[in-house]
Amino acid sequence: MNREKTAVLLFREDPKEGLPPEDMAELRGLAEAAGYTVIAEVSQRRGRDRRFQLGRGKIAQAASYEPEKLIFNDPLSPGQIFNINKEFLLQPMDRFNLILEIFASRASTREAILQVELARLSYEAPFVKTMESLKKLSERPGYHGSGRYDVSMYRDITGRMAKIRAELQGVEETGERRRKRRREMGFDLVALAGYTNAGKSTLFNRLACEAVAARDQPFTTLSPTTRAVAAGDRRFLLTDTVGFIDDLPLFLIKAFRSTLAEIVEADLVLLVVDLSDPPELLRERVASCHEALWDCGCYAPIISVLNKVDRIDPEVALERSDLIRDLAPNPVFISAREGHGIDVLLDMIAEKLPPLEEFVLRLPPSEEGLKQLSRLYEVADPKEVRYGEEIEVLLRGRREIVAKALKGAGTPLMKPGASPPEEGWREADERAMRG
Amino acid sequence: MDVVAVDISGRHVEGDRYIMVSASVEAKISPEGIEGIRGMRLVPTVAESVDVEVVIGLFEDSVRGLSGVVLAERGDLYNLERWRVESILGREFKYPESRGERMAVELAHHASFAGRRLVLRLMDGELGFSAGRDAAGGA
Repeated sequence: MNREKTAVLLFREDPKEGLPPEDMAELRGLAEAAGYTVIAEVSQRRGRDRRFQLGRGKIAQAASYEPEKLIFNDPLSPGQIFNINKEFLLQPMDRFNLILEIFASRASTREAILQVELARLSYEAPFVKTMESLKKLSERPGYHGSGRYDVSMYRDITGRMAKIRAELQGVEETGERRRKRRREMGFDLVALAGYTNAGKSTLFNRLACEAVAARDQPFTTLSPTTRAVAAGDRRFLLTDTVGFIDDLPLFLIKAFRSTLAEIVEADLVLLVVDLSDPPELLRERVASCHEALWDCGCYAPIISVLNKVDRIDPEVALERSDLIRDLAPNPVFISAREGHGIDVLLDMIAEKLPPLEEFVLRLPPSEEGLKQLSRLYEVADPKEVRYGEEIEVLLRGRREIVAKALKGAGTPLMKPGASPPEEGWREADERAMRG
Repeated sequence: MDVVAVDISGRHVEGDRYIMVSASVEAKISPEGIEGIRGMRLVPTVAESVDVEVVIGLFEDSVRGLSGVVLAERGDLYNLERWRVESILGREFKYPESRGERMAVELAHHASFAGRRLVLRLMDGELGFSAGRDAAGGA
């Protein structure tokens, strides 16, 4: 057994609410995903202990297994970490710290590395502050005169956080420009969202015919990946994003803002749900996703993609979908792994994307007119083109995108059969731009 | 789903009492958002405390006659278990989970907040009334 990566899991069972076995399984899964070998699980039914979170005896029992880490299911305060470390000479960590450790091990892009570092520093900054004030209560060991050391350490952390935020701001702005450009190119944006390990990357691979990493483990995806997909006569860009988890702390949402922006700015969100989850857990997880979507300010329409139906009976799938009826709008049953229900999902996506309108355009029969026609082929779907005294185009596309492509051309957008407006070309163009 | 989203504004002491406004929004919602608002009610009150009985009493006044599942934030009901709130209120109740439910509660929050500001202005005589915040009795 690898001595370096052993851990004991500690659970506090609330006397009123109890401890669902799924919570224990989730922490075990997270610990294993972080590379720990779980050598024991210790639980205690009691209220929160101010000094150690659990009773002293239970922590001593956990320490007797001589693990490298003690992993607590409940959040630890800076004081509790300090006390456990001092009393038992073991490194304690809570669920959020464990998630951060997984993120750190999976972060591969520059953006993800910065986001993980920012999340870790945001989490650790108040701990450092408390640790220092606790240490200063006694003889100030480790401080080199007038407390200068602790001031500079906290400042170092906040200074580094400011630098990362500034760098991430640049990443965010780049992402915003990229999304704007994609919209101008006539693409609709669709984002995959859902609880961690719900099968988002598998669905992404299925829809986009791609091969991004998709494994049966939490937080496989940290950085967004985008690919073009066609649904009927609609083409859209599908983005795979980081998964949510229960009680997602706000500092984590803030750190991953540039990644979550892919969901916030999407025209449509595919909320992927693992329908093979036990019923009591299923509802809780979907509610967690709604909470996370709400917290990051996502107001786009949602399609609920009820995944992994190949793992359960059809009757059970119906029962479970009924259980989350008030949380799962526009449900579609699929199996991303087996490919069941993908056609129905694509039809639903095409139906729920912002509608396309038909327009008639008259372009001058000049070189400039042909350039505009060429631009229109890039952003919209010209159905018919007639060459005469003018080039008459019947096309289908999103109003604001077509208007933007013709900006300054003095060509109004008209519905088929409509006569030219009495107002000037430019005014009509501007009105169309305003939508 | 038909819901009545409730929010209470003013649960902080003002002098030696609490000037509160409860807003109830009767709405039809989907998991994604609000489909339509059917009605809204504002109930102002002045209380000596904000214990559970007072808050539940205000809830009862606020939702009376409005149909739908009652929704409120956990903090508004001191994190009481759902079954306990249901048994006290005597009607279906839940804490918001979906985006639509959260939107409805947020709407109620805006209404109660604006309602309370209006009540305070009325009590301060800004709008031609002179009840005064120190006056006894209801707002």
